[in-house]
Amino acid sequence: MATPLRAASSIRPAPPAPQPARPPRRPIRDNPRLLLAGIVVLVAAFVGLLALASRTTSFSPDFLTEVVLYALSVADLTMLVGLVFVLARNIIKLLVERRRALPFARFRAKLVAVLLGLTLIPSILVLLVGSELIRNSTDRWFNAPMDEVLSSANRIAADYYAERQRFVLAQAARIAKTLGDVDLQSANVPGLQDRLGPEVAEDRLKLVEVFRVTADAGPSRVAPILDVASPSLPPGALRASAERLASHVATGAGETWALEPMAIGGELLRGAAAVRAPDGRITGVVVASDYLTGELAARSRRMTAAYEDYRQLRVLKAPLFGVYVSFFLMVTLMILVGATWMGLYLAKRITRPVQLLAVAAREIGAGHLDHRVERETADEFGALVEAFNSMAEELATSRQDLERSAIDLERKHLEGEGRRRYIETILERIATGVISIDERGAISTVNDAAGRLLGVGAEAVGRQATEVFAREDLSPMSTLLRSAATGGEESPPQEIALTRDGRDVHLAAVATALTGDGGHVEGAVLVFDDVTPLIRSQKVAAWREVARRLAHEIKNPLTPIQLSAERLQRHFGTAPPPTRALVDECTTTIVNEVESLKGLVDEFSQFARMPSPKTVPTVLGALLDDTLALYDGLFAELRFERRFAADLPIVRVDPEQMRRVVINLVDNAVEAMERRGVITVETHHDPANHLARIIVADDGPGITTADREKLFMPYFSTKRRGSGLGLAIVRRIIAEHGGSIDVTDNAPRGTRFTIELPC
Amino acid sequence: MIRRALPLLALIAVAPLLLGAAGDAVRVTPLARDGQVYVSFSLDGGLTPDMRETIRSGLQTSYGYDIELRRGVTIWFDRTLAATTVTATVQFDNLTRRHQLSRSIDGRVDAAEVTESDEEVGRWMTSFERLPLFSTADLEPNAEYYVRVRARTRPRSTWSLWPWGGGQWGHATFTFIP
Repeated sequence: MATPLRAASSIRPAPPAPQPARPPRRPIRDNPRLLLAGIVVLVAAFVGLLALASRTTSFSPDFLTEVVLYALSVADLTMLVGLVFVLARNIIKLLVERRRALPFARFRAKLVAVLLGLTLIPSILVLLVGSELIRNSTDRWFNAPMDEVLSSANRIAADYYAERQRFVLAQAARIAKTLGDVDLQSANVPGLQDRLGPEVAEDRLKLVEVFRVTADAGPSRVAPILDVASPSLPPGALRASAERLASHVATGAGETWALEPMAIGGELLRGAAAVRAPDGRITGVVVASDYLTGELAARSRRMTAAYEDYRQLRVLKAPLFGVYVSFFLMVTLMILVGATWMGLYLAKRITRPVQLLAVAAREIGAGHLDHRVERETADEFGALVEAFNSMAEELATSRQDLERSAIDLERKHLEGEGRRRYIETILERIATGVISIDERGAISTVNDAAGRLLGVGAEAVGRQATEVFAREDLSPMSTLLRSAATGGEESPPQEIALTRDGRDVHLAAVATALTGDGGHVEGAVLVFDDVTPLIRSQKVAAWREVARRLAHEIKNPLTPIQLSAERLQRHFGTAPPPTRALVDECTTTIVNEVESLKGLVDEFSQFARMPSPKTVPTVLGALLDDTLALYDGLFAELRFERRFAADLPIVRVDPEQMRRVVINLVDNAVEAMERRGVITVETHHDPANHLARIIVADDGPGITTADREKLFMPYFSTKRRGSGLGLAIVRRIIAEHGGSIDVTDNAPRGTRFTIELPC
Repeated sequence: MIRRALPLLALIAVAPLLLGAAGDAVRVTPLARDGQVYVSFSLDGGLTPDMRETIRSGLQTSYGYDIELRRGVTIWFDRTLAATTVTATVQFDNLTRRHQLSRSIDGRVDAAEVTESDEEVGRWMTSFERLPLFSTADLEPNAEYYVRVRARTRPRSTWSLWPWGGGQWGHATFTFIP
C-alpha cells in the first residue's frame, strides 16, 4: 500500500493586485487655496474690526449700543459656537481615535492642546486686562469735575433760554393785556400799529404778531391781524409757527412758547398770550418773539450737546463697555479660532504623511503592493514618501518575479505530482511488489502487491524495515536489504522462497540502493515478483513432457509383453499341471500388470494431451446438481448438502471438464471421509470481482499444511493407489478456464476447495 | 446621567411658566365693545430711574409695546389672532427743558405733544387708555381670549453677553360677549 506523497511546494499565488486607488480627496483644511482664502477672510475680518473700532467715536451711542453691539454679539457668539464645535468635534475624534488606537491621535491632541494653551492663556489675559482698562477708562470719563463743568455750562445756557422765555412770555402777556379793550374782531383795527410800534422800536422785542380768534377761521381758530417787526430782525421768520402757537393758546391752554430755528442761523423765541375781553372771553392772541443770535444759539446748543453727549455716555456706559469688550472678545476668539485651526492644520500637516505611510505599510503588508502614497509636499516628508514609493515599487517587482517563479514551481510540481500519481497508479495496479525504504531504514511505501505477497499491511509504513522483516518467513528479505544498504552495485534478481500460510511462495526479488547527487545512500527500493505460478507451470510442463515420453516409451512395449505372456500361456496349456499352473499364474500376473500399466499410461497420456475447453453458457447450479446426482444412493452414510446461490449468473465453462473437476474433488472427499460424513457443495457470486465461486467442503480428516501445497502437483498423492494426477488435472482445467483453485481448512474440520471462475 | 439631567429638563419645562409669572409687570385691561377690543395697559412703577436718566440725557427714548390678542389652545401653543405694536417716544431738550412726546401705532404716528412735566412724560410713556387695537369681527362669542403685552425699552442701558430677550410682560383674559 502506498502512502500519498505530499505536495512539494506550499507557495500560493498572490491575491489579485487591486486596482490603483484614486488619491483621496483632500480635506478642506488641507487645501492650500482654501486655507489661503480662510486666512484672507480672517485678516479682512480683523482689519474690518480695527476699522470699526477706530470709527466708533463717530457713531452715535445709540447706533453703537443697538446695532454695533448686536452685530458684535452675534459675531462673538457665532465664533464661540464655532470654536466650541471645533474643539468638541476634535475631542470626540480624539476619544474615538484613542479607543481605536489609531496612530498619532495623542500626538495631534497634544499639539493642538499646546497651541491652544499657548494662545488661550495670553488671549484671556489680554481680554481681562483690556476689559479692566476699558472699565477704568470709562469710569474716568465720568469724573466729578467734568460732570460739574458740563452741567454748569448746560445750566447757564438753559437758564438763559428760560430767562428769555420768561421775558418773551411776560412781554406777550403785557401786550395782550393792553389790547383787552380793543375790538380785534373788526376787520380794521385802527391805531394798533401805533400801539405796537414802540414795543419793537425800543428793541425789547424783535417781532410782535396779533391774531384774532374767529370761529370761521378754520381749524387754526385764529387769523392774523398784523405783525410788527424790528428792522434788526433777520428775514425768514415763519408765520406758520406763530399761528400754530396762537392757535394753541386760543384753545385756552394758557401761555405757551416755542423756539423756531431761523434759516440764516439763530433762533426765534416766541411767546404767546391770550387777549381777553373784559368779560374774560379770548378775543385774540399776541405772539411776541425775540431773536437769539446765531452765535449765541450755536454756543448754547454746543454746550447742551456736550452735556447731553456726556450724559448719554454715562447712561450708555454699560453697553459701550460691552461694545469694547465685545471687540476684545472678538479678537480673542479670532486668535483662538486661528490658533485652533492652525494647530489642527499643523498637526495634520505633520501626522498626515506619517499616517499615510503607516496605512500604506499596512496595505503593502496585506499584499497590495500597488498601493502608493501621494506626495503632497516637497520637504523631508515628501522625500520620505518618495523613498517609500520606490521601496514599494521594488517590492512589487520582486513580488512579480517571485510569482513567476512560484508559477514555474507550481507547474513543475504539478508535473511531478502527475508523474507521482502515474507511478503510484502503476505501483498499485502491478503484480510486482515494491517497497521503498528511506535512509533511516524505515519503510516509506508499500504497494498493494507487496502487502499481499509479504502479508504486511499499511501499519508497516514508518516502521523499521529490519523490524518488519524480522519475521521468520520474511528473513530472506532482510538479507537482501542489507546487501542493498551497503550501497553496492545492483545485485542480480534472487529467488527467495517464503512460506506464507503454509504455502511456499517463490519471489524473484531485487534490491536497489537509492543514491543522491553526492553518491550518498538515501534509501533502497525492494522489487519482487511472485514467480510461484511460473515455477508451478514450469514443473507442470516438465511433468507433462515426462508423461508424454513415459506414455510413448512405456505403452509401445506393453502390447508385445501382453501378447507374449498370452502366447506363453497358450503354449504351456498342454504342459503338466504344475508347470501349467506356474505359467498361468505368471502370465496372468504379467497380463494384469500390463493392463494396470496401460491404465497408468492412459492417464499420463490424458494429462499430457488435455484438450482445450469448449466453453458454453452454463448454469452452474444445474451442472453441479446433475453431477452430484451420480452419487445418489451410492453411500449410505454420506450426505450431500447443496447451497447454490440464486443470483449466480450464467458462466461460460466446458461442462464435461467442469463435471470431471467436481467428480474428482468429490471422489477425493469420499475416499478421505471413508464414505461417512457430509459433503457441502456451495456456489457464490462475487459481483465486485466478477467471479463465480464453487466450494466443495468435507468434514473429513483434512490435509496437513505440508501436503497442501503439493496437492496440485502431478504424481503427488496421499492415497495408496493413486497416480497423483487427479488434482493436477483439476488445477489445469480450472486454469484453462481462466480461474483458480485453492485449498484451505474447513471449519470445524475437513478440507475446503474453492474454485473461482470469471463470469 | 439621567438623574443629573432630570432637574435641568424640569427647569426647561417650567421655564415659560416661571417667566410668565415673573414678567407680569404690565397691567393689562381689555374691553370688548362696539366691535372693537379696547386695550388699556400700564407699566407698573412708571418710568424707572434709569429710564428717567436716559431721557434726561437727551437720548431719544422709546417704549415699544407688542400687544397680541391670543386664544388658548389645549396641549399646543396658543394661537395669536392679531398683533400690533404701540410705540411711545420721548426726547428731552436740555436747553429748553421740554420733552417732545409722540405715540405711534404700527409705525403710524397717532399723537404728539410737548411738555415740560416729568409726570406727563411718565404717563405718556407708560400708561395707555382704551386703545382700539383689534376688531371683534373674528372673535367667537362667549369664548375666552387674552391680551398679552410685552414692553421693551430702547436704548438699553445695561449689557450682557446675551443681548436678546428681556422685556416686561403682562396679560389679561376676557370673555368676548357680543
